[in-house]
Amino acid sequence: MAISPIYALRETGQNLWRNFMLSFATIITIGVSLWLFGGFFLVNYAVDNATARWEGGIEFVIWMNPDASAEQDANIRNSLESPAISSFAYVDQDATYAEFVELFADTPEMYEVVTPEILPPSYRVIPTNPDADVVQELALQFADRPGVRDVVSADETIRQIQNQADEISRVFLIVSIILLIAATLLILTNVVSAIRSRGSEIEIMKVVGATNWFIRIPFMLEGLAQAMIGALGAWVGLFFLNNNVIAGLGDGDALELMRGFRVSDSEFYSTSVLMLGIAVIVSGIGSMVAVTRYLDT
Amino acid sequence: MIKLENVTKVYKGDVVAVRDATVDIGKGEFVFLVGQSGSGKSTFIRLLNREETPEHGTIYVAGKDISSLGAWKVPYLRRNIGYIFQDFKLLPKKTVAENVAFALEVIGKPRHVIRKQVPAILELVGLADKMENIPTELSGGEQQRVSIARAFVNRPLILLADEPTGNLDPQTSVGIMKLLDRINRTGTTVVMATHDRGIVDTMRRRVIELDRGQVVRDQARGVYE
Repeated sequence: MAISPIYALRETGQNLWRNFMLSFATIITIGVSLWLFGGFFLVNYAVDNATARWEGGIEFVIWMNPDASAEQDANIRNSLESPAISSFAYVDQDATYAEFVELFADTPEMYEVVTPEILPPSYRVIPTNPDADVVQELALQFADRPGVRDVVSADETIRQIQNQADEISRVFLIVSIILLIAATLLILTNVVSAIRSRGSEIEIMKVVGATNWFIRIPFMLEGLAQAMIGALGAWVGLFFLNNNVIAGLGDGDALELMRGFRVSDSEFYSTSVLMLGIAVIVSGIGSMVAVTRYLDT
Repeated sequence: MIKLENVTKVYKGDVVAVRDATVDIGKGEFVFLVGQSGSGKSTFIRLLNREETPEHGTIYVAGKDISSLGAWKVPYLRRNIGYIFQDFKLLPKKTVAENVAFALEVIGKPRHVIRKQVPAILELVGLADKMENIPTELSGGEQQRVSIARAFVNRPLILLADEPTGNLDPQTSVGIMKLLDRINRTGTTVVMATHDRGIVDTMRRRVIELDRGQVVRDQARGVYE
């Protein structure tokens, strides 16, 4: 038997309105859990994209002491004139200071206390062979040289980024799964509450011959509506995360290692579709359990 | 129209509500079910509506065995059976017209059919001027008329009434019985469970008496006794 769309929408709207506070709590929980779930995917995509860039041109940075002598500096420069090195660039103290200012543009108190003289100049090096082990070995050759303060290879930094990203995304995933379970239970509770508050109507519907599906559909739509509104909120949050946070990190010139930390449109939209699918599954489980347990003929 | 063959219904704890009942009710008959409280009248009615299923025996309604009817077919059976409650069971926030329309709306009747049938049935039960009232603005008798209108708006073949005058004073009960009699004269089979001796004795229709679940009397043009 066909159910009138007007009837279904009216009944669904009434159910949502009748349990407004509970519906609102459910929508927020679904929204936050889906946002975290989507965030887990976006962070992973962004890290994959960032590290993919480094895989094609692993480089390392030789940080010199600010007071390194001209002779020490010349020694390093001579060593870099080698077939093992594809190219290198010298970043002097003024340029380092400019990067520093840009990096901490939002916190003037940081760069106001720093002067170019105390910042280390550096060599940004691109080896001929991008193999991580070769790069690591090359980097180590400079580590103990006079005038060298530190050598940071990109693969080490990437590993750090990956480890931190793994930890962040793990937290996102765990919290989102817990919240999704809570959201499913909230939908179930909400639908059960709506069923109980409409007990007389349901009794009449059964007596006059309404089919089980006719009775069930408005309650299932209620769960679906909550999930969809929550998913919409989560999508807006993800859009913000992608366009402002992830894109901002990826675009920052000062954060050299973060360049490429971005999510493509197709990755963003596939994550959105996945989020929508999760919302449908969560609402489906919550409302189906409720209607099958509490609406038996 | 209705046929019970050796029907037994047992509730949990071995409580026998209906015991080996065999009854045949023809189309257009008006039947009173009488008996003391707990004699099985309500269970008898609920068996006919497939709210209960028998442990033994077979129940036929309009030639179909409803004892073995699939669960998904039950709603379609119920569209041919009107049901009147003792406590009316009207929806308090809906108007009289909306209460009656609800019964058609939830079985998927188109709006133009609902707009035509609801005023007609309210005219039949004498409530044409109360269509926009809500149930709390009506007397008990009027509320029961709305309940009857809701049960009959889909023109069912059978009307089941479980103590429809149980909450009404004798004078109002007479009005309700006249209405049920009028509906019965349209060819609708009416099965009514009642405790009201006066009504049964006045109307002199077929009387089936139950005692501890057993049919102990089946009398044409009977009295309450």
